Amino acid sequence: MLDAITKYLSSSATPGEAGSIFWATIYILLITVGISLAVIAMNWLERKILAHMQIRLGPMRVGPHGLLQPFADALKLLIKEDIIPQDADKLVFWSAPVVVTMTAFTTFLVVPFGRTHAVTDMNIGILFMLGVSSLGVLGIIMAGWSSNSHYPLMGSLRSSAQMVSYEIAMGLAIVCAVLMTSLQTGTGTLSMIGIVESQAAQHTWFIFKFFPLGFLAFGVFAIAMVAETNRAPFDLPEAESELVAGFHTEYSGFRWSLFFLAEYAAMLAVSSIAVTLWLGGWMRPFPNWLSGSTWNTAFSLFPALTLFVLAGLCLLGTVRMPKIPQMKIQTVGLGIFGLLLGFIGLVLLITPVRERVQDIYWFVVKVAFFMYMYIWYRGTFPRYRFDQLMKVGWKVLLPTGLAVLIATALWGLMPQITSAIVGLLP
Amino acid sequence: MSLKPLMQKLFLVDLIKGLKVTFNYQAPSEAITEQYPLERPVIFERYRGQPRLNSNPDTGESLCIVCNLCALACPEKLIVVKGERNPVTKRKEPVSWSYDLSRCMFCGLCAEACSTDALELTQDYEMALYSREGMVLDQAALERGQEPEKYAK
Repeated sequence: MLDAITKYLSSSATPGEAGSIFWATIYILLITVGISLAVIAMNWLERKILAHMQIRLGPMRVGPHGLLQPFADALKLLIKEDIIPQDADKLVFWSAPVVVTMTAFTTFLVVPFGRTHAVTDMNIGILFMLGVSSLGVLGIIMAGWSSNSHYPLMGSLRSSAQMVSYEIAMGLAIVCAVLMTSLQTGTGTLSMIGIVESQAAQHTWFIFKFFPLGFLAFGVFAIAMVAETNRAPFDLPEAESELVAGFHTEYSGFRWSLFFLAEYAAMLAVSSIAVTLWLGGWMRPFPNWLSGSTWNTAFSLFPALTLFVLAGLCLLGTVRMPKIPQMKIQTVGLGIFGLLLGFIGLVLLITPVRERVQDIYWFVVKVAFFMYMYIWYRGTFPRYRFDQLMKVGWKVLLPTGLAVLIATALWGLMPQITSAIVGLLP
Repeated sequence: MSLKPLMQKLFLVDLIKGLKVTFNYQAPSEAITEQYPLERPVIFERYRGQPRLNSNPDTGESLCIVCNLCALACPEKLIVVKGERNPVTKRKEPVSWSYDLSRCMFCGLCAEACSTDALELTQDYEMALYSREGMVLDQAALERGQEPEKYAK
């Protein structure tokens, strides 16, 4: 048993490649737990960062600096009354949040957190992700329709129109990246792991490939992915000031929290696509410039260092807590949390663990950057009007995407074109 | 469209400017939120809050001479004072005081009208109560001043 575990862990195959149902189950469980934890962390971070951008403090009362606020919220949502409107279509109303959550989580099947850290490596990985994540709009339409109320219907109509328009621009940008994978070998790949490996083979992230074409394709994707996930400034389907809450107006309690979970999981999913396609997936920064085993070791220390810094911040916070009796439990809790983080950091220093974890770390750091950008956009940009939204989608992003696609194809075919021209010359 | 606005639009200059503004506001020291029960706000000197009936600190007798000027000055007619002449000192002394805080708008006209500086609007601001009954202050409550309920987590 132990032998089999160590044998698998020392191999470099995804559970799908190894054909092991056991490891696939473990990976799926780990990813589900990880995504849920990330959503919880994201909930707290979003409220804090957004608050600071608006010169507020955000949650401060539940736990030190409101660290336990997401858990308090989750508890509140779980014990809240579960209301289904009288004239709602019960079955569809019931299944809509399930569909949305399932699709959001299913996309993570093919996300490569590292060379070996994907549940499976589908040869149509990116297509699978796009297909499944666009099924999410079905759940939103179901929610809006079955609620039998005006605002949800309006919200879901807007959402479907928006998703359909932005999916095209998104698809064009993705095709650019897929075209780039075929440059070295002549055969492109749609597999998520294959895309990252071709970036490694070409010694560049695709965002810097064919500058500025890769950058432009990335920009189109970065705008389209905000619209795809219904986030500010494209959050018309749930515009608070116009539609109460959009498609989930009639939802409460646990069903609402499923929508919440799905929204953040979808944000994580599209961010992972962006990281995989353009930012080199699990690869560490500067693999060419700072190469060699010394630099490899130095970069593999980063996960532990990050945790040590976090632990240090927690312990600093423990020292700086107000010295009053009411705060005693919080102070002790923060101290224990800091020690726990430090302990995890120590575990990450062990060489085999370090080697295995660093891929995940770099992937997560890149995704975290996108999540921060989401919050930053939300704290800065006002919401678009619906006609402006459509204008940006159809009149700006779509032509840009098409132009970048054609230019990428031409640039990639440059050797063949030049040789053909040379051959035609007398 | 001339070149400059076009370039500004192309390179999303305005959006980046906005992002810069929000980014710079992120330092927690910028936050102006007040953690109220833990830290208390600074109250200005001329703030008009909780009314108080002053008494002579040496003898402990009320400064109020029941001239009724405050009751006449009050636009809400919420002050009712009744007094009696003390046969020994020949001085009029209050018997019953009633100050309905729930109707008070803290205009301060009563304190201005008071000829002996007996009635005063202090800087205390924690006057919230769970019932209206406690809002009608008698002489003892006015002299004592209201104590806020202690914040307990």
